[in-house]
Amino acid sequence: MVLSAFLLLLGATLLAYFLNRKAAISIRAGGTQLHSLESFHGLFAALSVLVPVLAGILIWLVLRGSAVDWFLLQSLPEGTFDGLDSGASQLIVAEIKSIAGGRVFGTPDPWKTEAAERLLRYNEIADWAMVALVAISAAVLLWFARSTVGAQFRARQSAERIVLGLMMFCATAAIFVTIGIVFALTFETIKFFQIVPFTEFLFGTSWEPQIPIREDQVAAEGAFGAVPVFLGTIVISTVALLVAVPVGLMSAIYLNEFAPHRLRSAVKPVLEILAGVPTVVYGFFAVLTVAPAIRQFAATIGVDVAPNTALAAGSVMGVMLIPFISSFADDALSAVPRSLRDGALALGATRGEMMLNVLFPAAIPGIVGGVLLAVSRAIGETMIVVMAAGLIAKMTINPLDSVTAVTVQIVTLLIGDTSFDNPKTLSAFALGMMLFLATLFINIFALRIVRKYREIYD
Amino acid sequence: MNDMRKIEREARMTDTKITARNVNVFYGETHAIKDVDVDIADKTVTAFIGPSGCGKSTFLRCLNRMNDTIDICQVTGDIRLDGTDINAASVDPVQLRAQIGMVFQKPNPFPKSIYDNVAYGPKIHGLARTKADMDEIVERSLRRGAIWDEVKDRLDQPGTGLSGGQQQRLCIARAVATEPEVLLMDEPCSALDPIATAQVEELIDELRQEYSVVIVTHSMQQAARVSQKTAFFHLGNLVEYNDTGLIFSNPNDERTESYITGRIG
Repeated sequence: MVLSAFLLLLGATLLAYFLNRKAAISIRAGGTQLHSLESFHGLFAALSVLVPVLAGILIWLVLRGSAVDWFLLQSLPEGTFDGLDSGASQLIVAEIKSIAGGRVFGTPDPWKTEAAERLLRYNEIADWAMVALVAISAAVLLWFARSTVGAQFRARQSAERIVLGLMMFCATAAIFVTIGIVFALTFETIKFFQIVPFTEFLFGTSWEPQIPIREDQVAAEGAFGAVPVFLGTIVISTVALLVAVPVGLMSAIYLNEFAPHRLRSAVKPVLEILAGVPTVVYGFFAVLTVAPAIRQFAATIGVDVAPNTALAAGSVMGVMLIPFISSFADDALSAVPRSLRDGALALGATRGEMMLNVLFPAAIPGIVGGVLLAVSRAIGETMIVVMAAGLIAKMTINPLDSVTAVTVQIVTLLIGDTSFDNPKTLSAFALGMMLFLATLFINIFALRIVRKYREIYD
Repeated sequence: MNDMRKIEREARMTDTKITARNVNVFYGETHAIKDVDVDIADKTVTAFIGPSGCGKSTFLRCLNRMNDTIDICQVTGDIRLDGTDINAASVDPVQLRAQIGMVFQKPNPFPKSIYDNVAYGPKIHGLARTKADMDEIVERSLRRGAIWDEVKDRLDQPGTGLSGGQQQRLCIARAVATEPEVLLMDEPCSALDPIATAQVEELIDELRQEYSVVIVTHSMQQAARVSQKTAFFHLGNLVEYNDTGLIFSNPNDERTESYITGRIG
């Protein structure tokens, strides 16, 4: 049914295009000068049918489920839900739906079977109503679009305005979704801070969120001091950046200025491919290769090291970030005008001096931007840390110890049995909120740096 | 007429600073410069003129080995500065470029302060021991660039904030700060307005007192105004090289005459 609605819409759109184009062509054939080209008349008609009806279909599909549910609930016998909590009533609705879907378990109550039949009927009505609505609105819009065709009608401007609106919608969609995410986080975070004091979360040094969910479970009391968790993230990110920034910058400088042309054209694509490796693959590398190697090496010099270390996770994360930083820095260096290179070389600067004193300062805003984006990625990286760093929150800055990170804790808190009135689950949202704020501020800071130190060289 | 007076001005014949023999330049397959022989005199302004793509800038860039920085560019032949082969293995292009300064078509100040722009060359070559030495070099260079009075109160401001003509004079000051013996100028006025052009041309005439100046220019009037010797390039060949006055009043070659009268180019 949905498919036929879409096909109907497609047909109406094409019809609108050709009808209006034909009408415009016949006006021109009559010897009148048209304001817009015939194809713009067609395009305007097609868009003015397509866009509103498509939006209507999407809205209908979103709202349909809850509308049908509402009718279903209204049709149930009075007093069905008396004395039931929300979970139990949802269970009844789910059972009716599964009966309607043909999955019958045991012998359901007769009123449930009746309700299931009603549900099927409602769904059928909804489907037909949608097709009918699509047909009617498409016809009305077709008629409207056809009536606009005229020598004076500014079809090009009108069509462009519709396209402009579509582009604006696409450009702002991501922003609105982000705002939605923030709201979702905010509500849960507020709930969490109603249970756990803000100061304890922010300054507490013990993180043990494993509190009992059911009465009969045995677990610790629960402590929600986020400091060790954030400390873990900071340690791992620091290790990662200590690896990624020098190596990334050096490789960018080498590739940009010193590498022979053939080597550059071979190495650059490989680096860019590295940027596309899934992080879980890096995680394997960290846990199977790097961590044992670190442990073995430490054993040979007589140091005992945990099997999961911040060093292993951080250094592999650093490798992951190298292509990121080097390609940013390379782009920034390449953007420095050739005339500045020539100017420095003509003064008798060596290539190294030119790079250090002229190109690098001129490229610093781009480079800083790249590094700070890498910081954001390091903080938000999850998979490598889950696999290689460990789960226990320790109050330590020793990179050879097992630490955990904010993202890891969020993952572990939300896996398995969860209940949304429990501080254990809610703390994940508080952590997520903090992480979001941290990366937000880093990005704002990055933008400010770039603006402040941008050197205008043209 | 002012211009004519300058054309008629007799070129002082002094020592030869640069001698070039059988210079050929290839960009990949393209033969850009064909067997060029030139003697460039000291304390003289030598102009290279010719239509676009005739190789005059390419030849200029041979003189301080800037073509080395282009991968596909290959230079053959013998170029001597004071008798020393500049392409010899013993010559460091970095040292050479300190001796032979260069000013480019588009003003290209570094995105640094005016002071640092001028101080950059002396700094990398270790010409100043103390801050006072450096201050002196900077002031002297800016005075030679005829821009000191305009910038002396804002030496710490970025060189990129100056006007186009000021930027170009700053670049000239930057080039003379390393105490070069020869100054190469690649169409130094083509991005400037007429007033800034006049200032730079006046400056070039003053620079002749101390340096050998080689200037590439599109404008024949400019060559006539500022130079004592003129070389006419056409399709990679050096067609004619003589005193500026003779080139413009009585050229030997038919192509030169066609060019300066506007029939070709």
